[in-house]
Parts: sequence; structure tokens; C-alpha cells
Amino acid sequence: MILLGELSLWVSLLMAIWMMTVSYAGGATRRGELVLSGQRATYATLFFVVMASIGLWTALFTHDFSLKFVASYTSANLPKVYLFSAFWAGQSGSMLFWALILAGFSAVAVFSNRAKNRELMPWVTGTLGVILIFFIGTIIFAANPYDRLEWVPPDGRGMNPQLQNPGMAIHPPMLYLGWVGTSIPFAFAIGALVTRRLDTDWLAAIRRWSLISWFFLTIGLVLGMWWAYVELGWGGYWAWDPVENAPLTSWLCQTAFLHSIMIQEKRGMLRKWNVTLVIAAFLLSILGTFLTRSGVIESVHSFAQSPIGNYFSTFLILIFVVTTVLVMTRLKDMEAKAQLESMISREAAFLYNNLVLVGIAFSVLWGTLFPIISEAVRGTKITVGPPFFNSVNVPLGLGLLALTGIGPLIAWRRASVANVRRQFVFPVLAGLTTGTVLMVLGMRAFYPIIAYILVGFVVGTISQEFYKGTAARMRMYAENVVVASLRLIGNNRRRYGGYIVHLGVAMIFAAFAGFAFKKEFDVSLKTGEVFKATDPFGHAWTFTSQGVSEYKRLNRYVTAVGLAVTRDGKPMPVLSSEKRQHVDSNDQPTFEPSTEVGLYETTMQDVYMVFSGMIGPDQAEMRLSFNPLVWWVWYGGMVMAIGGLIVMWPQAEKKRQGGYVTMLTPGSEIPTTVGAGA
Amino acid sequence: MQTGVINRRRFLRAGGVCVAGAMLVPRLAAQEANAVQQGAANIEMPQTAYKAVSLPKKANAKPLVAQLERDELERGLKCACPCKLDVFTCRTTDFACGISPAMHSDVVRLVDGGYSADEIIAAFTTVYGERVLMAPVKEGFNIAGYAVPFVTLGIGATMLVALLRRWRRETESAVPALASKSVLPISGGMPAATDDEMRRLQAAVRGEPDR
Repeated sequence: MILLGELSLWVSLLMAIWMMTVSYAGGATRRGELVLSGQRATYATLFFVVMASIGLWTALFTHDFSLKFVASYTSANLPKVYLFSAFWAGQSGSMLFWALILAGFSAVAVFSNRAKNRELMPWVTGTLGVILIFFIGTIIFAANPYDRLEWVPPDGRGMNPQLQNPGMAIHPPMLYLGWVGTSIPFAFAIGALVTRRLDTDWLAAIRRWSLISWFFLTIGLVLGMWWAYVELGWGGYWAWDPVENAPLTSWLCQTAFLHSIMIQEKRGMLRKWNVTLVIAAFLLSILGTFLTRSGVIESVHSFAQSPIGNYFSTFLILIFVVTTVLVMTRLKDMEAKAQLESMISREAAFLYNNLVLVGIAFSVLWGTLFPIISEAVRGTKITVGPPFFNSVNVPLGLGLLALTGIGPLIAWRRASVANVRRQFVFPVLAGLTTGTVLMVLGMRAFYPIIAYILVGFVVGTISQEFYKGTAARMRMYAENVVVASLRLIGNNRRRYGGYIVHLGVAMIFAAFAGFAFKKEFDVSLKTGEVFKATDPFGHAWTFTSQGVSEYKRLNRYVTAVGLAVTRDGKPMPVLSSEKRQHVDSNDQPTFEPSTEVGLYETTMQDVYMVFSGMIGPDQAEMRLSFNPLVWWVWYGGMVMAIGGLIVMWPQAEKKRQGGYVTMLTPGSEIPTTVGAGA
Repeated sequence: MQTGVINRRRFLRAGGVCVAGAMLVPRLAAQEANAVQQGAANIEMPQTAYKAVSLPKKANAKPLVAQLERDELERGLKCACPCKLDVFTCRTTDFACGISPAMHSDVVRLVDGGYSADEIIAAFTTVYGERVLMAPVKEGFNIAGYAVPFVTLGIGATMLVALLRRWRRETESAVPALASKSVLPISGGMPAATDDEMRRLQAAVRGEPDR
């Protein structure tokens, strides 16, 4: 099976080359049999990439340590779940995983469009073939998981302890699904540019793909934050590391696109801009991969000085040049009659929102690249860490939050003064009330206060929109509040799903602002000693050391320290943090010791404990911190994901058509018809 | 056989030649076969990255920096290990780092030696260079680093406003022409509806779902 997998990898490259060649030839010559052959090659490529992946999984599960990849990232005593996720624990496996998702997405895109977009599809398939050739070729020639060692070690090195976490089994697949998902809209954009069919048809084809990509990127980013928080032990969830910044910039471009696509759909405007955003999202995914895997930028996640950086940079330049030439030569085809009646309109608000989203994406990219730029210009190496990113992005983020609340309140085409006044009164009052209450409670920090005022404003906006829509349905159709709310969302999934996403964004901003009040302490305790501290909400806490224990469990030796905790005199759950030394099946240490944090989580704050080491035989050194509102990041992420699902959930086409027919029947009543179609 | 037309057999033959050629090309992977490949956060600790930062103790030295300020100061200094964390976070986390505790000891010695926070930062910058700071100092070329995002956004905003104004002017001048073509009677200066908008309006009136 392993040999078959290795062979399949080579055959998949041939299939991808065939897929690209015949699809482009079919598109250029308009020969149906070539186009069909290209489609079949897509399915064949998927088949062989799946075989190659099964081969690698087989090698992982059978502990074939003759493969360098298996020996580098697993050991005989690694739990089975991590043998499965070891597939993406190293560079070459993660590249194959990327190719697997891309081949799967390509097959689904080709299959679901086999009878649609006939003019575009050969170019779409060919472009997906190009991307597949790049990835499979890079795997084969530069990062091959089937590379063999000259000897067979008795055991492997084992998996990095920090990757032995359930989050790591889910987070990378989610992120890859999102990142690879940008390839499909990109391929459609190339197809539209080549064929000069730049109307709204290609947008309709990619809208759901963009949403799927955005949805998975959102989940991937939030899961990554969660993993960093519970596993890395530094006490935060976002460090502005290049590997975090890369998907964030792609996510920001996609978010901008999902807003601006509405203007093209409704008004036919922004054709050039939308094509640019789709291309930018894809290029940023490739650039991000290049930055984090080439070693050109220091990152915790860097895969050292890997040769694949050369491949990625070449591919990036090639794609950039080709897409630039295509866009420049199609500018006239993308001319559209722009209609704008007022600077205060929903259309204009979407454009302001796009400006800020792309501005943040640029500033994140700029900060990530600035060390390289500085070194090139001045010859001096510098560090661009969280203080830089926060100083630049906090004001921009607050601007974005404000627009999240403003956009839905402004009418399409033109907002009258009366309309603005009527719409803004409640949300503005909600925001000001929030700010006033917090100031009365003693909050004085400038940015958090502004953030909470804006969060109040956004939540006010969303509540008002739901209230108005639900109340209207209750009046018109005599529905109760639950039915009216559900039908309101069900019949207007894009709009109200979008509002739910906005609510998730507001929750996450509230959590970010709360984190500014984090308090942390560097503590040394002997058994029985007590440390006292006050949290940001004014509660008095005591932490009493219960001593240090040592034991062996599974594939690791554990040293743990426990703390008995009280809050305002009341006992709370015991906090425990571990230092783990992982060993292989011969009881030999595999990695440097790692730490498992101790956590007591509530919706208001987390008590976070990190056991950093022993000072003496009985004295443990640890960091204790109160992290306010962290759970709201995870809740917010969940709400965003639910909103995203609602937006991309397909409408029941047949039922709707049935309702339409009923409505045209003489004598039928509109409410009955709407109910039937809902 | 017709020349200039690619049939399946010729295509396969040409493809076979290309594949054979590709197989003969020395495998690019060999060029850097020994390149280090390491997984996420599998950080090698170059213990030599540590450089001692010491200054003579000031006469009648008294600590000018309290413990909380010292912790804050350490949050502004990057650990010399490849973890990308600041000294305080690195030494109180677990990356098996021997460098951040050593840098912490230097900070403590300088504090005990009577040096202020600015003097300590300057001492570390002299020894390690500017990269020891978690964020670049706002001077010289670094100002560009801080300013470029805002300047770019400002330029973008100016261009956007100019574009929106142009569109609005064009729309206003086009309204009379649209009015004459409109299928709806237009009154009170209301702009004409496009066909698409009319279609959506009628759909909304009928209670069809928003697509």
C-alpha cells in the first residue's frame, strides 16, 4: 500500500498535467471531448491523491520508520489519534494534505458545474490543474513524505508534544480547507478574465465557494487561537506571528469580497475590484505559505530553511505576472455603469468597509514584511512584535467595528436625514449607555471604553434590525415571536445570517477589549505557602500550594503542581499545571519538556496557571494570571460560524417555486403562499 | 494525418516524451536533501545567542524600577531564543529556554545597580542591537513602518471619496435620461428604478425570499 501510495503520487502529477493541458486546449479550441477529458482527469487526480494519502496514513499507522517522515514525527507509543493527525504534523505531509483538499475541492467544483458555465469551465479546470501541478510537483521534488532513510531506526522521534492536543487534530484541517478554498474562486476569476465573461455569472458560481472558504478560515483561525491559548502556555491567544497573520490577511480580503460582491450583484458595480479581491485572497494564501515555510521570516511555526520557499516564490511571481497581465488587458471589459446617488448610502458604506478591511490586511502584511524591508534598506534587523501591530491595528479595528454597526442602518441608494435619525437613535443610545455604565463602574482605559461603546452600538443595531423584522412578521402574518424570528432568518438568510456574523464579531471585540485588563503574577511557592491576589473585578483570591507530584502516564513523565484556590473565601476547583517529558518506546526523552496549563474558566474570566519549573526540591515557580472575557472569543467564533452556515445554507428551490406557482393561482392569498414557500 | 491538428495519439506521444524528460532531470529535492525540516514550535535553542549585558553598579545605587515596572520592561525586550516571545513571557512559560532567565538576571542586576528603565533598554540595545526590542523605536526609517499603513489608508480614503463623488455626479446627470426611459411614472424628483430593482421590488411585494 505504501509503495502504491508513492506511485500514486507520481501518477497524480501526470493526471494533473493532463487535466491542465486538455482543459486549456479544450477551452481554446472549443472541443467538447477535450473538455470532458479534462473533467475526468480531475476525478482521476483526486483518486490518485487519495491513494497517495492512504499510503502515507498506512505508513504512519504501521510505524514504517524507513520513511523519514514517519520516523521524524511519530513514535511507536504515540496514541492512535495523533498517528492520524501526524499526517499534517510535518512539512511534506501537510503539503500532501493541502493537495488532497485541493484535489477534492477541484473535483466537487468541476462536478457541480459540469452542466453549467460551459464557456468558463475548461479554463477553471485548467487553472485548478496548474495549482495541483504546483503542489504535487513541489511535494515530489522538494518535500516528499515518501523519502526514505538509509537505515531503519528502531523507533521514531515522536510528535512534538505541543501538537499532541485535540485542537491540533482539527485546527490545521479547518485552516487548510479555508486556505485551499480560495483556489476555486481564483480559478473562476481566471476563467472569467480569459473568456471576458465578467458579468455576474461567475460571481454566482463562486459566491458559495467564497463563503465555504471564509467559513473554514474563520473556524481555523479561532481554533488556532484556542490551541495557542491552552497549549503554548504564554497566556494569550494571538501573538501576531507570521503564520497567524497570513490566514488573517486572506480572511480579511475574503470578508471584503463577500461585502462588495453584493454591490456587483445589486448594482453591477465594482467588477475590477471584485476580481482583484479574489485574486488577492489567493495570492495572499500562497504568500503566507511562502513566508512561513521558507524561513525568510522568523516564526515559531517556521519549518526552518526549507527548499520549498524557492518553489513558492517562483509560483507566486508567475501567478502575479499572469493575473496582472490578464487584469490589465481586460480593464475595458470590466467597465460598468456606476450609479451612486449619495455618499450616505448602503453602497457607499460597503465601500468604506472594504477600504478598512483591505487597509487592515495591508497593515498586517506590512508589519509582517517590515523586518525584511528594514534589513534591506538599513541593513539592521528589527523585531516587529505585538506592540507594533496593536498600535497600528487597534484604531483600524475600531473603525471597522463602527462600520459594522453603521452599514446595516443606512438605506440602499440614498439615506434621508429622517431615515438616518430614525435608524441611529436606538443603537447610539445603546452604545452611549454601555460606555456610561462602564465609566461609572470605574473603567478609564481609552481604547477599551471606545471598543465597548462601539460593541454596544453594533449590538443595538443588530437587535433593532431583528426587532423590526420580527415585529413586522408578527403583525402581517399573526405569527408568534419564535416562528416570526425563525422565518425572518430562514427567508432572508444572507441578510440575517450576516447580522449573526456581525454579532459574533462584536463579541470577539468585547473579548479583545477585556483582555486589556489582564493581570499576571510571577509566583514561587513551597508546599503549604499561600499567594494572595485581586482579580480585575475586585475579587480576592488565595492560592495555596498542594505540593509537587511526579508520575508516568502513557508516553510521558509528568511533574505536576496543584493549588488549592479560594475566591472571596469560598473554595474553588483545584488548579493543576504539569510539566511533561515525552519519551519514546525505549523510555528515551524525545523532546524538551513541555507544559500543560491549569485553567479555571468562567464566562467572565479565566484563571490561568503555568508551571514553569522547580527552583528547589520543594519550591515551584509559576505564572498566575486573570484573563478577562476569554470565553467570549470562543463564543464569538461559534456565533460567527453559525451565522456563516445560515448565509451559505441553500434555499429550498423546489418549495420556493411551488409557492410562486401557488401565488399566481387566481384567488390564492399571499400570506398562504409565503408560508408555503418558507 | 492532418498537420497542425493535435490528435490523442500525438498528444500522448508528446506527453510521454515530456514525462521521460522530467524523470531524467536530476531531482530538485536532492539539492537540499539535508535541509532541516522541523515541525511547528520544535525550536532549537541556540544557547550561544545569549550575550551578557552588564554595567558597573552606580555609587549609592538604589533600585529605581519596582518589580511590576521591571516585569513591564521585560515585556518590551525580546528573548534572544527563536520563540518570538518577550523575556517576561518566555521565562515564565515553558520553552525549555535558558536564555530568558539569563536575560532576566541581567535586568535584575541592572535594576539593583541603580539604572533606570530607559538606561537598561539602551544597554540591551547596545549589546543585542535594535532587534532586542519587541517593537521598533519610532525614529528614522522606522517611522515609515508606523506611518505607511495610515498614509496608505488615507490615500485610499481620498481616492475612494473622489471616486464616489464622480459616480454621484455621473448618476445625477444621468437621472433625466433614465427618467424618460423609465417604465414607472417618476414624481417628486425620485430616481428611476432599474429593471433589476423593479424585479426585486416585485419579488419582495410577493413575499419571495431574499436571494
